[in-house]
Amino acid sequence: MRGTLRWARADLRSRRGQALLTVAVVAGVAAALFLATMLLQGTLNPWQQLFARTHGADVLVYFQDRTDTSELHSLPGVQAVSQPYQAASATLAQGAQKSPVELRSMTPVPPAMSTPLVVAGSWLRASAPAGVVVEASFAQAVHVGVGDQIVVDGIDGTMTSMRVIGIADTADQGFYPQWTPGLIWVQHGLLVKVEPNPGETQEIVGLRLTDSSAVATGQVVQTIWNLYNGPDQNSSSAVERYSTWQQVQNSMASNDRLLGLLLALFGIIALVAAPCAIANVTAGRVLVQRQDIAMLKALGFTPGQVVRMLVAEQTALGAAGTVLGLAAARIMTSPAFVRPPDGTPVGLAPLSGSWVAVIGVGTVLTVALATIVPAWYAGRVSPVAAVQPSPPHGHLSRMARLGLLVRLPAPLVLGARDCLSRRLPAALTVFGLAVPMVMITIALTCWSTVDGFTRDPGRIGLAAAVTVSQGGLDNKQAVALISHDNQVQAYYPGTSFDTLLPGDNGTFTARAMGYSWRPYPFQVVQGRLFHAPNEAVAGQGFLDLMHIGVGAWISPTIEGVPVILHIVGRTIEPGNNGDVLDFGLDALSDAGAAPGQLVYSLVLKPGVPPAAARASLLAASQNQLDVQVVGNPADGLGVVRAVIAVAVIVLAVIALANLLTATAIGLRDHVHEVGVLKALGLTPRQVMATLVVNTAILTTIGVAIGTAAGLVIAPRLINMQGQTSGIGAGISDGLPATTIAEVLAVALATAAATALFLARRTTRIADSAHLRSPGRPSRPQPRSSPLRIP
Amino acid sequence: MSRAAPKGSPWPPERSADSPVLLKTSGLVKVYRADGVSVEAVRGVDLELAVGEFVAIMGPSGSGKSTLLHVLGGLEPATSGELWLRGQRVDGLSTSAWALLRRRHIGFVFQFFNLLSSMTVADNVELPALLAGATPRQARKRREELLSELGLTDKAGAAPARLSGGEQQRVALARALANEPSLLLADEPTGNLDSSNTRDVLRLLRRTHDRGQTILLVTHDARVASMADRVINLFDGMVADDAKIVPIPRGLNGVRDVLELRG
Repeated sequence: MRGTLRWARADLRSRRGQALLTVAVVAGVAAALFLATMLLQGTLNPWQQLFARTHGADVLVYFQDRTDTSELHSLPGVQAVSQPYQAASATLAQGAQKSPVELRSMTPVPPAMSTPLVVAGSWLRASAPAGVVVEASFAQAVHVGVGDQIVVDGIDGTMTSMRVIGIADTADQGFYPQWTPGLIWVQHGLLVKVEPNPGETQEIVGLRLTDSSAVATGQVVQTIWNLYNGPDQNSSSAVERYSTWQQVQNSMASNDRLLGLLLALFGIIALVAAPCAIANVTAGRVLVQRQDIAMLKALGFTPGQVVRMLVAEQTALGAAGTVLGLAAARIMTSPAFVRPPDGTPVGLAPLSGSWVAVIGVGTVLTVALATIVPAWYAGRVSPVAAVQPSPPHGHLSRMARLGLLVRLPAPLVLGARDCLSRRLPAALTVFGLAVPMVMITIALTCWSTVDGFTRDPGRIGLAAAVTVSQGGLDNKQAVALISHDNQVQAYYPGTSFDTLLPGDNGTFTARAMGYSWRPYPFQVVQGRLFHAPNEAVAGQGFLDLMHIGVGAWISPTIEGVPVILHIVGRTIEPGNNGDVLDFGLDALSDAGAAPGQLVYSLVLKPGVPPAAARASLLAASQNQLDVQVVGNPADGLGVVRAVIAVAVIVLAVIALANLLTATAIGLRDHVHEVGVLKALGLTPRQVMATLVVNTAILTTIGVAIGTAAGLVIAPRLINMQGQTSGIGAGISDGLPATTIAEVLAVALATAAATALFLARRTTRIADSAHLRSPGRPSRPQPRSSPLRIP
Repeated sequence: MSRAAPKGSPWPPERSADSPVLLKTSGLVKVYRADGVSVEAVRGVDLELAVGEFVAIMGPSGSGKSTLLHVLGGLEPATSGELWLRGQRVDGLSTSAWALLRRRHIGFVFQFFNLLSSMTVADNVELPALLAGATPRQARKRREELLSELGLTDKAGAAPARLSGGEQQRVALARALANEPSLLLADEPTGNLDSSNTRDVLRLLRRTHDRGQTILLVTHDARVASMADRVINLFDGMVADDAKIVPIPRGLNGVRDVLELRG
C-alpha cells in the first residue's frame, strides 16, 4: 500500500501536465452534464423549480369579498394558510389590443407563501404608490418592460395609469396566454383606485397542504367547497373559484420537446466522449511507461497491484475533476433565477442534491471503467524490460520501396513506413481523434441548424413573420391596409380550429391557410403541396397521432361539418407538436363550413424586420388592427447555442489530450531511431520530419474519419429528433463547405504543430545517447544525456 | 493491498535460509516461441548456489546468460525443469507469487540501470522497502544508510536522469540491497560504465559480498568475473564449465592461478 502510494504520488508529480489535463477533461464533462440536466429539468418542468423557490401554495382559493376565512386554519390536511389578498379584474389597454388582467393587492413586504420572484426591477415600494410589478410571462406577451407606463381599465371603464417597476415570476398560475388573466401585483391604494367597489373584488387565500398528492388535494378542495358553498349557507356561494398546483403544473409544461431532446443529446455526447478520452489518455500513458511498469514488476509489484494502482490513480484524478466541475457549474448558475438571454420564461434552479450525487457518482464510475482496459493491459506487461518491439517485417515494405523509387522525399517514406504496422498505438491515435471530431461535427451541425431556423424561418414552415387579425376593422379595410403596405410581399388569409380526433382521445389543429389555388408557402418535405380543395398537407405529429402516412384519405369533422381530405404531403410544423392538418379555405367553404374570423399571415419582403412591419401596420390602422409577430422556436433555443459552445470547447480539450498522447506514443516508439538516422546521413530537419510524418499521418486519418462520420451521422440524428418531437424530419441544415474546411484546417494545423513542437524537443538530445542505450530511450529533456565518454 | 506482506511480517525480511543451498536448479529449460519459430535459450542447466557465494556467469553473446538470470529471478517462467530457492520449490509459482518472492528475497541490478524515471533517487531506493512492508520512517533510515555507504547522500533529491552512469548504477545497487535480499542478481552491471565507474561498482559489490551477501552475476568482462568465488561458463544455453577460482598463495615459483576443473 505504501509502495503503491509512493509510486503514484511520484508519478503524478512528474506528469503534472497530463494529470491536470485529465482533471480538466473530467471537470468539463461533469459541468456539461450538470448544465444539461439543469436545463433539461428547467425546460421540461419549469413549475417544479419555480414552486420550490417561491414557496408556492398548493391551492389558491378565490373567495367573495369579506368572507371569513379563519376556519381554513383548522381544516384537516391544511398545513399553512396565507393572509388573504384582495384582487380585482381589469383590462390592460394597449391600443386595439385588450388583455384581461387580475390586479392583486400586496404590500411592499413580500409574502412568505407564494413569494413572487423578482427577475427585473424591484418589488413594490412604499415610495412609488403607482408602481406595479407585472408577471413575467404576461409582460413578455404584451411587450411590457420595467419603466413602461401602462393603462388599466377598470370594470366601470375608468382608466388608471401605472408604471411598471418590476417583473416577477410566480408559481400561482401558468404562463400567459395559456393561462388567463395576466397577473399584476399592485399596492392596496392603487387597487382601490381602479376598483373602488369592494363587491367587485375577491379575496384570495393560499393554502399549503400536509399531503399534496392529487387525492389529498382534491379532498381538501372538496371540504372547502362544502364548507363555504354548502347547502346550509344562506348567502350565495362564497368560493368563486380555485386552482390547484396540478393545474398550474400542467399549464406550464412545455410543448417544446425538441429542446429537451437536443439537451439530452449533449448529455449523451459527454458520456460517450469522456470515457473514450480517458481510456485513450490512460492507454497512452501505459504504452509510454512500459519500461517503468516492467521495472515495478521486477521489484515485486504483482500484476493485480499494478492494475489497481493505475485504476485508483485515474479514479482519484476523475474524482477531483468531478468535484471541480460540479462546483464550477454550481457557481456559474447560482444567480437567483438565471434566465436564458432571450428571455424565455424558463425556470433554472440548481439541481437537487440527489441529481448532483447521481451525476458525480456516474462520472467517477465512468472514469474508473474507462481505465480498466488500459490498466489490465499494463498488468500484463512482462517484467523483462524488453527492447522496443520491432516492426513485423524487417525489410522495407513494397510500398516504401516504390515510394523511394519514385523519389518521394525520404522522410515521408520513412515516416510512413510503419505508422500502421503497430496496431494498438495506431488504433488509439485514430480513434482518439475520430471520436471527438465526430462529436464536434455533430455539435456544429446542430448549431448550423439552429442558425438556419433564425436565418430562414421559411425552411421550418414559418414563412409568415407577422399575423394580423381584424381587430376593430372589417375584412375589406384590413385587406386594403395590408395590401397597401409596401413592406408586405404577400398575405394569406387563414383560420384554425381545434378539432377532435376520431375517437375523441385528443385534439389536433385544423388550419385553413390560403386557398388551394394560392396556398400558404408551407415547407413540404415529403410529397407535394395541396392544389385542389380536397387536398391537404399534415405535420409529422398529426401523421403519428392518426397512424397514417402521406397519401391517406381522412374525413375529420370541423366545426360540425365533415370534410373529406386527401393528404398529399408532409410539412415541417414547429408549433403544436406538429399535430396540424393544413388545407385551403375553399375546402371549408366547399364543405359548407363558415370560416369565421380570418387571420392574415403576412410574408414580408426579404430583409424587413418583423417589428418594423408591425409598427407601420399599427400606425396605418391607428392601432385598430391586432398585429402579432410570429414566435420562432429558435428563440427558445438560445440556451442550446450556449450548451453547444461549451460542448465544443470540452470536446476540443479532449481531442487535444488525445493528440498529445498520440504524439508522445509516436515519438517514444521512434526516438531511438534518431541517432541511427543521423548517422545514416539525414539532416536534422529531415530527421524531425520523419518523426512528425509518422504521427501526422495517423492524426490526419483520425480527423478525416471523424469529420466524415460526423457529417453523415449528424443530419440523420437531427432529423430523427425532429421526427420524434413532431416537427418532422428534414429540419437539419448541413454544414457549409467553408465551415468544414475551417474545422479540418484547424484540427490538422494543431496536430502538426504539436508534433513539430514535441519532435523538436526530442531531437535536441545528443545522438550518442540514443545509440548507446537502445533499450531505454530517455525522456525528451533539454539537458543532454549524462553519458559522455571523453 | 491484499497481496502485500502479511500483517505482522517483519521488515527487513529474515535472510537466513533453511538450508545452506540458497539456489538450486535441475534441468532448467527456457524456450522462446515467436512467429512459429522457437528459440531454445536455456537448454538444461543444473547449478547450485550456496549461501554467501559470489558466482559469475560468463559466455559469448547469445549463450543465454541473461535469459538464465531472468528465469532464476522469476521475471520469466521456465519452460521446464526444477528451481529451488531457499529450500522451496519455486518454478511453478504464479506471477503474483513470484512478485512477492522477489519483493522480499531477491534484488536485481541491470545493465541499463533501469531506475524509475518519475521518482527521485531517494524514492527509488525507498520503494522496495515500502513495498515489503516497512514504515516510511524505517524506509528512510535504510535509504540514508545505503546512500551514505555508497557516497550518494547529496544526490538523494535528484532525478535519475541527471546522474552520471556510475552514480545511476550505484543507486540501482542501493535499491537492490534495500530489503537485505537473500540473493542479489546482477545482469552485466558494469557493461555500460567506464573504467573508473566500473572499479567503483566492483568495489561495492565486493564489500557487499564480504558482509555475507549471496551474489549471482552475469558478465562478459573477465576482470569482473575474477572477483567472484566461482565462474560458470555458458555456451549455447548449457553449462560448459563450472569452476571455483582458487587463488594460489604466491610462492617462490611465481604467480600461478590454478583452476580446478569440475566434470
